[in-house]
Amino acid sequence: MYKWIKNGFIVIVLLILVFSFTPSYTSLTIDNLAYVVAIGIDKGEKETYKITFQFTTGTSQQSSEQNPSFINSVEASSIDTAINLINAYISKELNLSHCKVIVFSEELAAEGLSNLIYTFINHVQLRPSTNIIISKTTSLSYIENTKPTLESLITKYYDVFPNSNKYTGYVSNVTIGDFFNALVCKTCEPSAILGGVSTGKVDATIQGGNDFYVRSMETNFVGEQGSENLGLAVFKGDKLVGELNAIETLCLSLVRNQVDSFLLSVVNPDNEEEKIDISINNQNFSSKVEIINGTPFITVTGKLKGFISSMAEQDNYADSTTLKRISESVNFHLENLLTQYLYKTSTVFHSDINGFGKYAASLFLTLPEFEDYNWLDNYQYATFQVKMEAEIQTGTMITTS
Amino acid sequence: MHTSKIGTMEAIMILLTIVVTHTILSLPKNLLSITKSATIINIIYVSLLALLLVIFIVRLFKKFPGMDILDISEYLGGSLFKKLLGILFISYFLVSSSILLRNFCECLKIVYFPDTDLLFLILLFIIAICIANRLSFTATLKTNLLVIPIVLASVVFLFLANLRNFTLERMYPLLGEGFFNTFVTGIGNISAFGGIAYLYFLPPLLKKPEQYKKIAITSIIITGIYLLLTIATILFMFSFFITEDEIMPLFSAARYIEFGTFFQRLESIFLLIWISVFCCYLSVVMKFSVLILQKITLLKDTNILLPCIGLTMLAISLFPENYAISKFYETTIYRYLVWGFILFANIAILLFANFKKRKKVGETHVQMD
Repeated sequence: MYKWIKNGFIVIVLLILVFSFTPSYTSLTIDNLAYVVAIGIDKGEKETYKITFQFTTGTSQQSSEQNPSFINSVEASSIDTAINLINAYISKELNLSHCKVIVFSEELAAEGLSNLIYTFINHVQLRPSTNIIISKTTSLSYIENTKPTLESLITKYYDVFPNSNKYTGYVSNVTIGDFFNALVCKTCEPSAILGGVSTGKVDATIQGGNDFYVRSMETNFVGEQGSENLGLAVFKGDKLVGELNAIETLCLSLVRNQVDSFLLSVVNPDNEEEKIDISINNQNFSSKVEIINGTPFITVTGKLKGFISSMAEQDNYADSTTLKRISESVNFHLENLLTQYLYKTSTVFHSDINGFGKYAASLFLTLPEFEDYNWLDNYQYATFQVKMEAEIQTGTMITTS
Repeated sequence: MHTSKIGTMEAIMILLTIVVTHTILSLPKNLLSITKSATIINIIYVSLLALLLVIFIVRLFKKFPGMDILDISEYLGGSLFKKLLGILFISYFLVSSSILLRNFCECLKIVYFPDTDLLFLILLFIIAICIANRLSFTATLKTNLLVIPIVLASVVFLFLANLRNFTLERMYPLLGEGFFNTFVTGIGNISAFGGIAYLYFLPPLLKKPEQYKKIAITSIIITGIYLLLTIATILFMFSFFITEDEIMPLFSAARYIEFGTFFQRLESIFLLIWISVFCCYLSVVMKFSVLILQKITLLKDTNILLPCIGLTMLAISLFPENYAISKFYETTIYRYLVWGFILFANIAILLFANFKKRKKVGETHVQMD
């Protein structure tokens, strides 16, 4: 009898637990969910925001065609209202756990993104690794035009494109986690990837010899890929205050030690009208902050090693004197570049996107002292000193021609 | 219910279970919100203080071999005092663990079970611990011995896997809110060593009572290192935990672990480990509550007490109207309970019992003379 009661009790308990967990299981099954891969937010015409969702159908077709994705937009007063409206429209529940990018229009970013970022961080489904893009056109246009050419899956493209940061430095892999961290902290300011739509025409404003000075929508690209991500959007607090071009973004990546290798064009010391391409694959940057008479004095020191990529007839890169002169040219070029970039962040943007504040914090013993100093406001008065130490080696396959 | 004796390692793991469960929830955030960037220094400081305190407690227990705090309280204030202290301890254990269970289930609901009623989530744990405690205590001890090292290893893994996300300079300014805040107000962070409460009941339960000091010291040292690792992970990774409040800081850190595009979303594994350690913690709490109840009621068969204690835990965990109230208990009231009751009141009892003993010994010597 006791055994029967015991077994009956176990069965009842198991049934209660099985059925009680069913609602969560049912709501989280793949059949009931619509997976968002990108969210775009623009200013609305009638409501506060116009929110665009890009979905992937999640089919496993083995065809050569691209995996289809579709886009829905809605005007709403908040993100959650928009999600709710789209839930009703597509008759499936939106799931953000596979969202790869969030695109904000430049216009919206200039007004401040704080509330939107906090809302996204509050969403448990959204991963901290989701990239943040500031689009120079509307985010709807950016998402519509994003058509990957080398990947069959849109999600794969979104996964892969920020990785070019490691070998070019022209894009910074900024995630919502990084953005939120920088938004809240008192030692740095946020930044985001600068995106845009390819116009397909050569930008006439870009002068010859300045091919690194490009940024999204001001490029010389001609191709089939609709959108482009080049440069960086600079924020002061939660408001967009400016943009960095490709080479300035590289400077930021260098100062933050976020780039593995990159290419640099410097003036040939033997012929000032020519340029040599140097491939840098080993670099280490360090920063030091001092406060002199109440003003920040920032020293950036970089040590780098590289080899010469370009080669011309009669070039001799096996000669140590030539290599020394090329190294000096690299030093001169990078010192100028970095100094210009650093002064731009301080005097033009007043925004410490480099995060020098963390070094400044070590100069103070207590937080109230540091807060009284108000690093983020004093950064605009900073003076910079850049010291470079380049060691350029010979070419790769050919050392002398 | 047969009470098995506890081995040295098992006892250390019991004491670690308490701190481990608290760190899964808001303990790291609580510590950071008080001492801010100086939390690492503060943890080293309070660990040393906790070590001294524990050595002092062991010393106070030396004159009462084989006795726990209830036996000592009986010696000091009689049976009524023992019963009163027993009830206070049971209340402390049950309320603390139930509220912690409620908060953990709230977090589980947010993360994985949005449409499941909270009652069923809590019930799952209560049923598990009732069954575990119906088996012998050895089952809980052995599971603890298996789970706690995994948790400790997972925290080391969490620290190492997130190294690339660290900004070591976040430990500056070194003194946080100031010297007073770090070293005087910051003493409050000793509440992180809440496991000391279980130290009061260990002496009669140990297989080798002579290892009591070793158990106490080792557990405090491991707790200190564990806290240091968790705090370092949170402090070096996030700038916002000092000001903002996000649920389960360690879970947030686990969400950042990625190895290429293949190994992502490892937080699910962490959550699975934490669910296991939570069951172990609740089993330990239930066992100690039953032991105390047995001691103050002189009951022989305590199996009947298990569903009663389980239901009490369920009721307490469902009692707070919302998460904000249960969180307030965990972040604020719990600290004061550890300070006032676990540390101050019980050390006072031990001290007075020692004075009484010394006085009695003195009187005996006088009579003999």
